[in-house]
Amino acid sequence: MKLAHTALIAALLVPAVAFAAGPNIYKARHDNFEAMGRAMKGTADQFKSGNPDIAVIRANAAVLAAAAPKVAGMFPKGTGVEGNPKSEALPAIWQKPADFAAANKRLVDATKAFQAATATGDMTAVQGAFGAVGGSCKNCHESFRKPRA
Amino acid sequence: MTDPAPLPAVRLWDLPVRLVHWSFVVLLVALWASAENGAIGLHKTLGLIALALLVFRLLWGLVGSSTARFAGFIKGPASVRQYLRGLRDPHHAPVVGHNPLGGWSVIALLGLLGGQVALGLVTQDTDGVESGPLNHLVSYDTAELARELHELGFNLILAFVALHLAAIAYYRVIKRDNLIAPMITGRRSYAVPVTAPTIAPWWRAALCAALAAALAGWIALGAPRSAAELKASQEPPPADYM
Ligand code: HEC
Ligand code: HEM
Repeated sequence: MKLAHTALIAALLVPAVAFAAGPNIYKARHDNFEAMGRAMKGTADQFKSGNPDIAVIRANAAVLAAAAPKVAGMFPKGTGVEGNPKSEALPAIWQKPADFAAANKRLVDATKAFQAATATGDMTAVQGAFGAVGGSCKNCHESFRKPRA
Repeated sequence: MTDPAPLPAVRLWDLPVRLVHWSFVVLLVALWASAENGAIGLHKTLGLIALALLVFRLLWGLVGSSTARFAGFIKGPASVRQYLRGLRDPHHAPVVGHNPLGGWSVIALLGLLGGQVALGLVTQDTDGVESGPLNHLVSYDTAELARELHELGFNLILAFVALHLAAIAYYRVIKRDNLIAPMITGRRSYAVPVTAPTIAPWWRAALCAALAAALAGWIALGAPRSAAELKASQEPPPADYM
């Protein structure tokens, strides 16, 4: 009877755990990255318009600053291609955890600095800080994301 | 019986048509290689050169030499059927310029390249950071769609280039007709007397080239419509850290 119980609990639990780390985490990750992508484009569009609206840039900077710290926690072990063939997360994420953490820190620092710059409203500083955020995305993608081309 | 004296070669393809053609061969390889290696900055520069060449070719199709003009080689389905029937006849009259089917292959290739360039202009890298010069004119979702189609478009072009090469091989091997040499030298001779194509003057090509370069340059700046936009486009683009 005990064994049956354990088996039952295990049968219920295993898929639940797999699900928690399964499709959900990929979706949450995708949504978080997409939010950052939209905020990047939203900001770049302002600069290209020739008449950038600081309010729009501030809103986008807030999105980036909120999303950036979530990235580090969104890559539990086993959530690379092995769990979803479409994932572009490279094994290097789990093979070089220190480098991955450094890339995450660079993103978090850059988005914080960007948000701080938008508060001052100095457009040259805002533009420079925005470029640094873009550099932090690229830095991580180069080592930890499978190239799409 | 003696062989008839060889007839003098005629100038079939002018220099602009040949330059554009071989530039595309080189560009296609370079565009693929730069995209594959993530050198998006270089890829965008090459893509803008491809845009200028395409615009030039379209203008040249209106005012260029007779064998370059669309009006001269775009034929209806009846002409294409008649040409295909004639292919089986070894004594069919030579076509000076694109044959009725080849004309459509030119349109298809130029159309595919044009579509690919247009998609590239509005597309964005996966991160929504590294984007084409006209990306700001479309939404994030449109740009994402453009990115996917831009990827697909290259495969379509490759398939069409394969078909293009197969057709050239068919003419070379089955029809004993060498199409490659005239595309290099511009000249070819025919077994029967033909009317030589009319070659357009060089200054007309220069004018078309200047127009094409100006349009590509304007698009490279993000197609500014005002002085303020022009100024913004000349500052280093913020997200462009290539
Ligand atoms: C610390 C590493 C890291 C940083 C920093 C980073 N990314 Fe990513 N990004 C990844 C990885 C890994 C993936 C692939 C995830 C997957 O496919 O499972 C990815 C994927 C993406 C995607 C595609 C998401 C999808 O599912 O289609 C976008 C968009 C994106 N990142 C945008 C950004 C932007 C914008 C920034 C900077 C503001 C950024 N990323 C910073 C690691 C990072
Ligand atoms: C690699 C990509 C290539 C592309 C995109 C391409 C594209 C084109 C285009 C657009 C034309 C029409 C030319 C014009 O009138 O402007 C054309 C014609 C032609 N191409 Fe290519 N080409 C490619 C490769 C090649 C190669 C490698 C060869 C030879 C080995 C070749 C041989 C020819 C010939 C002979 C014609 C003229 C055919 C005719 O009119 O009957 N092409 N090509």
